[in-house]
Amino acid sequence: MKKILTLLFTVNLAVSSLFAQSTSPVQALSNEKENTFVFTHATIWQDPSTRLTDATLVVKKNKIVAVGAGVSIPPGAIIIDLKGKNVYPAFIDLFTGYGQPEIKKSGNDNRGPQFNTNTKGAYSWNQALKPEYNAASNFVIDDKKAGEYRRNGFGSVLSIQRDGIARGTAAMVTLTDQSEGDAILKANAAATYSFRKGSSTQDYPSSLMGTIALLRQTYIDAEWYRTSTAKDFNISLENWNANSKLPQIFEVDNYKSALRADKVGDEFNVKYIIKGGGDEYKRLDEIAKTGDAFIIPLNFPDAYDVSNPFDAMNISLAEMKNWELAPYNTSMLSKAGVQFCITSAGLKEPKSFLKNLQKAVTCGLSKENALKALTTTPAQLMNVADQTGKIMPGMLANFFVSTNDIFEKDAVITDTWIEGKQFDVNVQDSTDIRGKYTLVLDTLKGYTLQLGGKAINPECTLLKDTLKIKADYDKDVYQFTIKIEPVKGKGIYRLNGQYNSEARRLFGNAQTPDGSWVNWTADYKENWEEKKDTSKKNDVVTAPGKIWYPLNAYGFDTLPTAKNVLIKNATVWTNEDAGILSETDVLISNGKIIKVGKGINLAIFKISDVEIIDGTGKHITAGIIDEHSHIAINEGVNEGTQSVTSEVRIGDVLNPDDVNIYRQLAGGVTTSHLLHGSANAIGGQTALIKLRWGKSGEQLKFENADGFIKFALGENVKQSNWGDNNTTRYPQTRMGVEQVYMDAFTRAKNYDMARKNAASSKTSVMPRRDLELDALAEIINKKRFITCHSYEQSEINMLMHVADSFGFRVNTFTHILEGYKVADKMKAHGVGASTFSDWWAYKYEVMEAIPYNGKIMHDMGLVTAFNSDDAEMARRLNQEAAKAVKYGHISEEEALKFVTLNPAKLLHIDNRVGSIKEGKDADIVVWNDNPLSVYAKPLKTFVDGICYFDIDRDKQIRERDKIERARLIKKMMDEKSSGGSVQKATLTIDELYHCNDNEKSPR
Amino acid sequence: MRAIISILCVFISGVIYAQNPAPADTATKRILLLGGYAHLGNGKVIPQSAIGIANGKITFVMDGKNFKPSRLAFDTIIDVYGKQVYPGLIAMNTSLGLSEIEAVRATNDYNETGSLNASARSIIAYNTDSKVTPTVRSNGILLAQITPRGGLVSGQSSVVELDGWNYEDAAYKMDEGVWLNFPSLQTVKAWWVDSEDDQKKRSEKQMADLSELFYEAQSYAAGNNAVYNPNFEAMKGLFTKTKTLYVRCNYVKDILAAIAFGNKFKVRMVLVGARDGWMVTKEIKENNIPVIIMRTHVLPERDDDDIDLPFKLPVLLAKEGIDVAITDDGFWQDRNVPFQAGETVGYGMDKEDALKAITLTPARILGIDASVGSLETGKDATIIVSSGDILDMKSSDVQMAYIRGKEISLDNVQKQLYRKYMKKYGLKDAE
Repeated sequence: MKKILTLLFTVNLAVSSLFAQSTSPVQALSNEKENTFVFTHATIWQDPSTRLTDATLVVKKNKIVAVGAGVSIPPGAIIIDLKGKNVYPAFIDLFTGYGQPEIKKSGNDNRGPQFNTNTKGAYSWNQALKPEYNAASNFVIDDKKAGEYRRNGFGSVLSIQRDGIARGTAAMVTLTDQSEGDAILKANAAATYSFRKGSSTQDYPSSLMGTIALLRQTYIDAEWYRTSTAKDFNISLENWNANSKLPQIFEVDNYKSALRADKVGDEFNVKYIIKGGGDEYKRLDEIAKTGDAFIIPLNFPDAYDVSNPFDAMNISLAEMKNWELAPYNTSMLSKAGVQFCITSAGLKEPKSFLKNLQKAVTCGLSKENALKALTTTPAQLMNVADQTGKIMPGMLANFFVSTNDIFEKDAVITDTWIEGKQFDVNVQDSTDIRGKYTLVLDTLKGYTLQLGGKAINPECTLLKDTLKIKADYDKDVYQFTIKIEPVKGKGIYRLNGQYNSEARRLFGNAQTPDGSWVNWTADYKENWEEKKDTSKKNDVVTAPGKIWYPLNAYGFDTLPTAKNVLIKNATVWTNEDAGILSETDVLISNGKIIKVGKGINLAIFKISDVEIIDGTGKHITAGIIDEHSHIAINEGVNEGTQSVTSEVRIGDVLNPDDVNIYRQLAGGVTTSHLLHGSANAIGGQTALIKLRWGKSGEQLKFENADGFIKFALGENVKQSNWGDNNTTRYPQTRMGVEQVYMDAFTRAKNYDMARKNAASSKTSVMPRRDLELDALAEIINKKRFITCHSYEQSEINMLMHVADSFGFRVNTFTHILEGYKVADKMKAHGVGASTFSDWWAYKYEVMEAIPYNGKIMHDMGLVTAFNSDDAEMARRLNQEAAKAVKYGHISEEEALKFVTLNPAKLLHIDNRVGSIKEGKDADIVVWNDNPLSVYAKPLKTFVDGICYFDIDRDKQIRERDKIERARLIKKMMDEKSSGGSVQKATLTIDELYHCNDNEKSPR
Repeated sequence: MRAIISILCVFISGVIYAQNPAPADTATKRILLLGGYAHLGNGKVIPQSAIGIANGKITFVMDGKNFKPSRLAFDTIIDVYGKQVYPGLIAMNTSLGLSEIEAVRATNDYNETGSLNASARSIIAYNTDSKVTPTVRSNGILLAQITPRGGLVSGQSSVVELDGWNYEDAAYKMDEGVWLNFPSLQTVKAWWVDSEDDQKKRSEKQMADLSELFYEAQSYAAGNNAVYNPNFEAMKGLFTKTKTLYVRCNYVKDILAAIAFGNKFKVRMVLVGARDGWMVTKEIKENNIPVIIMRTHVLPERDDDDIDLPFKLPVLLAKEGIDVAITDDGFWQDRNVPFQAGETVGYGMDKEDALKAITLTPARILGIDASVGSLETGKDATIIVSSGDILDMKSSDVQMAYIRGKEISLDNVQKQLYRKYMKKYGLKDAE
């Protein structure tokens, strides 16, 4: 009883613990205090690795003055006995919007495009860049929100305005209710960034790759601004530079974007603290390699409601496995040596924070590392380790008290102290009154009152002999209510009671069923014994499933490696002068084709461990190369918001988890050229990848390949089919398209010349580096090559003339459906062609497309390829090649080259791939039939000598997936039946792109 | 030699550029196709056949090995030895003639405004002069089901022959079915779609509208028709089973709901799409519902699906005894219908069964199998001859086509452009 009283009084006694001297004049009478609190007999977690038992903590005003065993108690101190309780340094959350104003969309009501910022003033040209935002200036205490954090043990948080790509500074604040000035520990604690436009209504950037380009350009601009003398004043860049000295926090949604942010940081020598998506475990190696610190959320997904077998089909293995593995994320990061903090961000309900924290610990995160991630690590990262994060003399008195070990189930925080002031007392939980008590009440004989269940809110039962009668028990301040009905139907006793903790006695007044008043007592008799609940197996943690690469259906649990393989006695389509060879062997080793010939004698090659495959009746071809693909791209294939976006790069947004990689391997594709869309005249830089299923985005890239860029002509570029709201972006006609090119290349030429001149002379000023013009200058300097989406002959002609006038050559016309009309001019210009086999009639400009186009261009001597532009068609490009035989009567040998050697030539990689030739990469396909036949299927697809697709292994993988699904479905059913929360099993639709897809990226 | 002459005629007939070939004259000739490898469309083959044609009908189909034709019995004897002979292919679910250029609104006539459009008739919008049609025909498609799209109830389809001066000329079976886009119970998650609640509300509203329409139409058909109602009029045939209800749906729960819906109103139902059909083959089979597969050349619906699921879907259904037709889902794309069928062969479909899925089974579904869909005596002489396997793009090369005995031009604007530019460059075709 005494303890409850003590605790309660402290609420009233708590003082305004002024941080420093106040500047505000005294109103009425002064009320300055210097309280001293002493906490005794506590288990104190002084820091993550130091635990003191039966220790004393002394707090004076807002600071800790002493901690340890045998600390002397200052006279007059208010003593709080914390026997059996735990004291922890208050947690620190580095990712909150606490105290920041609500974010409003700054309305762009007209439905047309918005080319410029709506922000008035000398700010950045882009509305999503707000480095000038100062969180401290806008910070206002929100005690309701603060209470939510405090009840989870937090004492201070980083206050971030989560809006925009550059979000300005963030402030480190405590969760006090006193004054804003009191709360702010560090006004400019960090600068924050993200890949999200937030409230910006400006069109650019609409894609993730556009956002990355904007960030890169701004780093360049800021450096130029810092050093240049010839510049206009720019508030945003001023602040960007000022912010650069602070810790840099970057918010991303998933591990792929974490790696993207890290890459941007590496380019500009910035070390980010990355607020991750919680799925870093999917690529732990790469994440660890970044060397960045992470802020990790604990928003584990709920299990899916898979009760209905058809609904369960909606949930992919990727989702199921992530459900199972996400709670292991922090433990895996910890084991991989990644420095990280834990944030409560992203939780649907604040109260799930401690539950999820405890889950993470159950899943292998050590308590020490958990505490580190919530105290010392964030304090260090924000440079406030001298003020908070530990229970040490001189530090802020920010700590919380919990009933038991905070990382154990059912631990409850009883009170949190911020700057020496007690908050959010959970009185009702502070005393454990559970037990069996002998009841003395009225004329009742032989009854025992049992308080069992949870300490926080016990359940009351009346016992007599073998009888068990359920009773009501409700807590109130200082007292409680019990209702009992000792004999059914004979009336209810209503008791008001209190607890004397020293005597262990319940006592009070009661009204009997007949309305008379009596006193009652109940003295402690014995322990309440918890029933062993055998039905619950929740505490048993079964080991989770393996991590696959990627973590999808068809992912590998062990990545395949390059083997030495001899395929014997097959029909080999060499794509070389030798033509199609029958009964021929192919030997691959170390990722290369070593030998092609009849009856290869292995003894000569001194290669051991050779896998021998009988190729009898089978066909071997070079891997298929898709000149025009849009698979494996995240968050937007078009940055169609401006007519020239040569600064954006598909290579920044690769998605190695796209199942279409595997599907296309099963169709014999080994290399794909991933293009920007065709929404604008000058699109983005392309990415050439090999289909190395299971590898990371960076590892997909075709090494040392020439850089390409996507251009586009015609209806998409002039927005013919974009609806009535898109009629203002220049150009709207083919006439304008030419002008865009002439203007862009003229600017690039002048820029390039000015940069070169500046580099060679000391007097002239180096022009600002411009990523858009850099890419165009590379084209002029023959370092980057154009693949241009094209249909009608007039504009094909036009672009060749533009190129001629700037002294370069268009490398490839892609689609090029009217190429047959200007094949002679194309030949003269020296451009290649990558077309569709038989597409037409989908828009006006393709009305004269013909399936004989490939044939005519090929016969005219152009390097001619067939491409897909479609994730489905790509997996049967061999069949598309066969249409050159059907329509154009091209020989089968030449037709196959349309999807192998010829695209390799167009992409300047025919020295590496595209034919079966000794020394080339072992990117080969073994087919069960003539590869041009509709009946043919790849049996094996090798990339770099690694067998990424094998039709027999595919069967095993499907079986494995089936079993894994069944296991996870059972586990989720168990989760549901044991009362865990579940979410609806809804089908998620993937991003699939074609080149005219102009959708805006998700916001 | 005659055969060669006739093939050449076909090829050269389009002398005027950018014009469709004129429709064929009425068939009067008695023709014998001799020696071809006949694929009858009903699963059977005759490796060296003799096929007689007179008055637009097939007069006999027989083994031609020892056949000694009487010169007098035929006006033309065509030696098709070494070639492949098939019934004319049938494309279902197509907007051929209803659309000329996908992106140009003025050329699109398949999607009426509003959601309940049972009365709309595709046949009157069918443009016999579409430049697209001859390109489809030259790959062997000789009949097509011209189909409206859009809304909940899209309208009525009709079967046409791909030759004719006007739609009356082309019509083979008018207003044979009503098309329904079944409201989907499947909600989906993606950043570009509306909330799941909104999706659910929408489909519930659609389901209610649809039930109301069918109850009222049923009542109207039963005689409660004092007040004329065009939609109910159009739907009358559904309840007498003289018209077919074509139901587009793909997700498994939608398929089951659609089957229950069809049973409730006792209609003759055909499932179109049915991408999840493999999960409920028993229910489909027990209710004797044929399935029209729209494209085998699509991606699997779900990431975890078997990567080859669309390729083998027709096989999974057919082996349970379900009647499966294979088609495309567009108009210009229909020239690839034979390859959509050919794709299934690598996944367990017998070649002749794959052919059946684009000939006899569609004819049965359309209720025209008495006269087309297979090479059988008494049926229309709607026949194609290819130099090679028509299911494989590598070998498909249609050289002759007959619709009811009329020799059909296989020329088209694309071939005209080909010749025009081959001539410009002085190039020669390999053949």
